[in-house]
Amino acid sequence: MSAAGDSPPRAGGERSGLVVVNHLLILATLLAAWEIGSRAGVLDPLFFPRPSSILAGFWRLYVTQGNIWPHLGLTVGEVISGFLAGSLMGIGLALVVGMSDRVRRYLKPYVIVIEATPRIAIGPVIIAAFGFGWSSKVLIVMLVCFFAPFVNTLNGMLNVDEDDISMMRSMRASKLQTFRLVMLPNAMPDILGGLRLAMASALGGALVAEFIASNAGMGVLISQYTGVLNMASAFVCVLTLTVLGFAIFRLMEALDRFIVFWTDAERMETVSRRRARRWAERSGGRP
Amino acid sequence: MAIAERHQSATPETARGDVPVISAHDVSKTFGDGRVVALNGATFDVRPGEFIALVGPSGCGKSTLLRIVAGLLERSGGDLRVHGEPVKGPHTDVAMMFQKPTLLAWRTAIENVLLPAEIAGKVTEADRQKAEGLLELTGLTDFAFSFPRQLSGGMQQRVALARLLQTGADVLLLDEPFGALDEFTRERLNVELSRITSEVGATTMFVTHNIGEAIFLADRVFVMTPRPGEIAAIVDVPLPRPRDPAIQVTPEFNALVAEVRGTLGGRL
Repeated sequence: MSAAGDSPPRAGGERSGLVVVNHLLILATLLAAWEIGSRAGVLDPLFFPRPSSILAGFWRLYVTQGNIWPHLGLTVGEVISGFLAGSLMGIGLALVVGMSDRVRRYLKPYVIVIEATPRIAIGPVIIAAFGFGWSSKVLIVMLVCFFAPFVNTLNGMLNVDEDDISMMRSMRASKLQTFRLVMLPNAMPDILGGLRLAMASALGGALVAEFIASNAGMGVLISQYTGVLNMASAFVCVLTLTVLGFAIFRLMEALDRFIVFWTDAERMETVSRRRARRWAERSGGRP
Repeated sequence: MAIAERHQSATPETARGDVPVISAHDVSKTFGDGRVVALNGATFDVRPGEFIALVGPSGCGKSTLLRIVAGLLERSGGDLRVHGEPVKGPHTDVAMMFQKPTLLAWRTAIENVLLPAEIAGKVTEADRQKAEGLLELTGLTDFAFSFPRQLSGGMQQRVALARLLQTGADVLLLDEPFGALDEFTRERLNVELSRITSEVGATTMFVTHNIGEAIFLADRVFVMTPRPGEIAAIVDVPLPRPRDPAIQVTPEFNALVAEVRGTLGGRL
C-alpha cells in the first residue's frame, strides 16, 4: 500500500501508456493478418468474415438500418429485470432463512433438489407454461439469478463470528440490531459475490432462453443471421454482447469496491478521511 | 477525570461500601444432562473496585464462570447476584471483553466505541464526547477514524477496551483480552489496564492462564483447577495498585507466583 504510494506515479503512467501502445500494435497486426488472409483466400470468409466487413456491419446494424436496437433493448431489459427480481428474491429469502433455524431446516431439502437441477433444463418447461413472450424469458433469467445470491447470502449470514454475537448479546442488543449492525454487513462481501455470479449468468440465461424459442432479442438476431450465413452481422451481435458483458463485469466490480470498502486498503483510507471530516463538521461548534 | 466520576456515580451507595458487587454461592454449570461438570460449587464475593484474576489451565471453567457472570451463559445451579440482584441475562451494569477484539470491520475506531450507545438508543453529543475521551485514555486519539484492519492487534484491543468503558458498566469482565498478542504488547497493555481500571474505579474480573499476569494485575487471584472446574484457592496479593512492572522481579512477587503454582501443581 505505502510502497505503491512511494513510487512516482508519472513513471507508472508512462509504462502503462507504452503497454497500451504495444497491445494496440499487436491487435492491429492480428487484424491486418486476418484481413489479408481472408482476401488472399487462406481464411474462409464464411467462418471468418473480414474485419472490414464486420466494421461495415457495425455501421449498418447500428446506424443505417438501426435494426439491432430493439433486439438489444429487449435482451438488456430481460437481463436487468430478471436479474433484479431473481437476485432480490434470493437475497431476501436467504435473510429470512438465515435468521430462523426452523425455516432453514424445512427449506433445505428443496433448495438442494432445485440447486442440483440444471437451470437451463427448466427453460423449455417455463416456455411451454408461459409462452414465447417476454415473461418466460424474464422468468428464466430470474431462475438463473436466484441461486448464487441465495446461497452466498445464507453463507455470509451463517459465518458470523460467535464472539461477535456474544459481544452484541452482552450489550443487550436486540435480534434486529444484531442483524442490522453485524450479520448484514458481515454478509455484504458474500452477497455482492453472489450478485456478480448472478449477473454473469443472467446474460447467458437470456440468450439461451431466446435461442430456445422467441421472436425477438439478441439470441434471435444471432440465430437469424447465422441461419442466412450473414456472418459479419452475426459477429457484430456477438461483439456487442462481449462489450455488454464486460461493462456489466466492470459495473459489479465498482459496486463491490464502493460498498465493501473495508477489504480494500485504498478505499478504506478514503472513507476514513471522509468520516473524519464529517465528524469534525458535526462537532464544529465544540472547542 | 470525567469518566471516572461517571462510573463512580453510577452506584453511589456501593461505591465505597462493603456490600459485594458480585456475590456467588455454589454456582455450577453442567453440560450434556449433567454428565460434564464445567463448573462446580463456585462461591465468592467481589468487593467494589476490586480486581480479580481467574487463573488456571484449559478446562478449569474460568471462561465458563465469566460468561455466567456476564449473563451470556445460564448457570445450572446456585445463586449469583450483581449489585444484589439475581443474574438473569446480560445486564447494563456488566460489560465483557473477549480474546478477539470483536470489532466491526466496517466501522472506524470511534464508531466501534460508540456501538454500545447506538444499541442503547440514540447517540448523543455527550456519548460522542465520552468516546473521544476514552480514545484519549487508551492512547488512540490519532487513530479515531482508522478502520480495525488498519490497526495493529494491540491497538484493536485498545479500541475494544474503550468500547468496554463506553458502556458505563461498573463491572468489567475480561476473557484473556490480550492472550493473542505478543509478550511485549501484552505487558504494556496490562500496565495500562491496571491504571485505567483503578482510574475508572471499576470492579474487574480478568481471565488468564498466565500466573505472573494474574498476580501483577489482581487484588485477589482465584486459582482454578479442572475436572471438575473449581476454585481451588483464593490468593491475596497485598501489593498496592496500580503496580510498576519492576515489581515482577521482587521476592514478594515470586513468593506469590510459587504459592499459586503450588496450588495448581498439587491438583494437576
